[in-house]
Amino acid sequence: MVIEIGHFAVVIALVLSAFGIASSILALKTRSVDWVRVGRMSLTLIFILLSIGMASLIYSFLIRDFSVHYVATTSNSQLPLFYTIAAVWGGHEGSLLLWVFILSAFSTIAVWLHWRTQPTIMPYLIGMECLIIMGFLLLILFLSSPFDRLIPAPLDGKDLNPLLQDPAMVMHPPMLYMGYVGFSIPFSFAMAALLSGRLGEEWIKVTQRWTIFAWLCLTTGILLGGYWAYYELGWGGYWGWDPVENASFMPWLVGTAFLHSVMVQEKRKMFKVWNLFLIIVTFSLSLIGTFLVRSGVLTSVHTFATDPERGLYILIFVTTIIGIAFGSLMIRAHKLKSQVEMDSMVSRESIFLFNNLFFLVATATVFLGTLYPLMVETWQGAKVTVGPPYYNTVFMPIALGLLFLMGVGPYIPWRKASQASLKKNFLVPLVIGLLSTITLFTLGIRSIFALAGAFVVGFSGAAICIDFGKISSLYSRRASVSFIKGSLAAFTSNQRRYSGLLTHVGVLVLVIGIIASTVYQTEKVVSLKVGDEFIIDDYRVKLERIHEVRGKNWSAQEGVFEVYEGDLLLTKLRPQKRVYDATQTPTTESAIYAKNMGHIFLTMPDVSPDGVVVARGVINPLILWVWGGGGIMGLGVLLNIFRPRKRDE
Amino acid sequence: MGLKNKKVGLIISILLVGGALAYLALGNFGENLVYFFTPSEVKAFSPDYYQKKVRVGGMVVEGSMETYSDRLGLNFELTDGEATIPVTFEGIPPDLFKEGQGAVVEGYWTNKHKFQSNLIMAKHSEDYMPIELKRAGIELPRKDFMKSLIQ
Repeated sequence: MVIEIGHFAVVIALVLSAFGIASSILALKTRSVDWVRVGRMSLTLIFILLSIGMASLIYSFLIRDFSVHYVATTSNSQLPLFYTIAAVWGGHEGSLLLWVFILSAFSTIAVWLHWRTQPTIMPYLIGMECLIIMGFLLLILFLSSPFDRLIPAPLDGKDLNPLLQDPAMVMHPPMLYMGYVGFSIPFSFAMAALLSGRLGEEWIKVTQRWTIFAWLCLTTGILLGGYWAYYELGWGGYWGWDPVENASFMPWLVGTAFLHSVMVQEKRKMFKVWNLFLIIVTFSLSLIGTFLVRSGVLTSVHTFATDPERGLYILIFVTTIIGIAFGSLMIRAHKLKSQVEMDSMVSRESIFLFNNLFFLVATATVFLGTLYPLMVETWQGAKVTVGPPYYNTVFMPIALGLLFLMGVGPYIPWRKASQASLKKNFLVPLVIGLLSTITLFTLGIRSIFALAGAFVVGFSGAAICIDFGKISSLYSRRASVSFIKGSLAAFTSNQRRYSGLLTHVGVLVLVIGIIASTVYQTEKVVSLKVGDEFIIDDYRVKLERIHEVRGKNWSAQEGVFEVYEGDLLLTKLRPQKRVYDATQTPTTESAIYAKNMGHIFLTMPDVSPDGVVVARGVINPLILWVWGGGGIMGLGVLLNIFRPRKRDE
Repeated sequence: MGLKNKKVGLIISILLVGGALAYLALGNFGENLVYFFTPSEVKAFSPDYYQKKVRVGGMVVEGSMETYSDRLGLNFELTDGEATIPVTFEGIPPDLFKEGQGAVVEGYWTNKHKFQSNLIMAKHSEDYMPIELKRAGIELPRKDFMKSLIQ
């Protein structure tokens, strides 16, 4: 009964979304604020109704109502409570509902938040958001419903994929969706600017916090996904250029380009068409990403073939939104000619321009690699994949270029940089960059990636540290307080700038982690019996015993491995080979010990009946810098969002 | 420098950097493509295709799997129902790799008419079958999902 209430609520929400679009159009025609109020009410009701829909689905999972088809396919009576909630978005149908639920929440918040300050934008914002909501609701209700019954009801459910029974996977999809959906707010404001012809800088200023919030969620989602892949999939890496990963990476790349390039428009009133283009592309890629992953088109093309309706619908919907967006951009583009010309090649504007160029080429690369196999298969019938080496060779120079620009951009003046200022700002960082490369070289490191990385990281890191050090000491001298207090005062004096630079520091830390853990990873695979040992790097690993372990819905064989450094016992690692009850699916659970900011990573991929164990050890130096860098980036963004408001904002 | 010269300089530098990046992105694209074949197609390979990295999908023949006692790796046969090829694999097979189930292997076909592989992909789903096989019109035995639910 409960699920039908949810179903009914979502049907009403669909009707209201059409109503919201109609009232927005009427509001624009009649210029009556009453119709805008009707639109606002529709959107708010949609949010309430979708909350009911979500709640009814969660409730059905909690009471384990296996007469609901979706509940029966993604959960099981033995599934722990925590993962039972995660199972709500563990499949296609539920995750689409979560998507549109978050969308309705964000757009309702945006409408109430900006109601007073942005009255003229409201009809466009409400209309656009209702259109996107309607598109999703049609898909959910007619082609991918989580509310369908399964009669007769099975005695037990099929269970959630064991690989998804993991804390990181509980948070990963909601974070990604909050990122995707968050971009819909700046997108709708941009569309409002285009359609209303108010093409100033207003839409960018109003949505700056939304953009950076969406970016934060997307970044967190991607990092959580990487962390999950790292310890759950048991191969010791965190990024494999899998099409599903790529789908979330593309909007991230363009979104990052966008949040840099809007600064040029704010400060110099340039890049107007470009910024509109970027946000349209960002949100379009968010839509494409969701659909590619969730329709299963990418991982196995046959979902498209066996369910052509869904595939076709998705294609039509995405094309409609993108078509409306680019159509309006083309119609208005002539009004958007910037009044300002670029003054010099050596200026902050041009650095931003190249930043954007690099990000867009990166996006195009991922787009090509992800969709080329699909195109080939559609038109030629040949089946093909694009290997990770392709992405690695293309991304390395792009990433290094971007990291270099990261050290230049914040310290080069707008308009035109004089030679004297260039020398003053960049001579010392350049020397420090070169010194770090030379140091690594004398230490015996020969990898080009590591040596070039050391240069750009040293250069950019030095540029940030020197500048912030100077300003901090200025503040501390001026108020005669300690250096620490001075740096805090300096930070808060221009929190928007310095929180951004803190995010840059996080990126540098992350990059050091990536370089160290990819270039200097050691791997060893051995087969051994109880009592045997093997050497990996500086460590000696001994298999002490194997025993059976029982979890709530799985049983496992657990190996107890003693890890020694010299004669000192560092730790006992306990990797498992699990078999989940419901599906009889085997999984390999890793065991990890952190040392010197790196990881000793152990899995036990195979245990044969005669007691021979296959063990795989991986030493990942500085891997904690990857996650630590991500943490610093997140802190920087939070300090940006929650900075005190300035008078001109 | 006049306004026009500056603009030209800017455009040229964008084109140069953009061109270099585009070359980077497209230059070695072709080398990194890995094509997919069925065992029948592999058997019919002309010598040009020997030693080229390809992927092959099929079903692991029951009773064909052999492991080594002294080192990691295994031998097995892969079939698409019509042709069967021998595969030599080095490394650790994934959790779901089993006889009688679908698998995709990456590696190359040697002139000794053996498939040498160092990567096996078996998808983590009970009713998985390599999609490419289905498109080639080959049906592998698999559990009827709805039946397994209702029983």
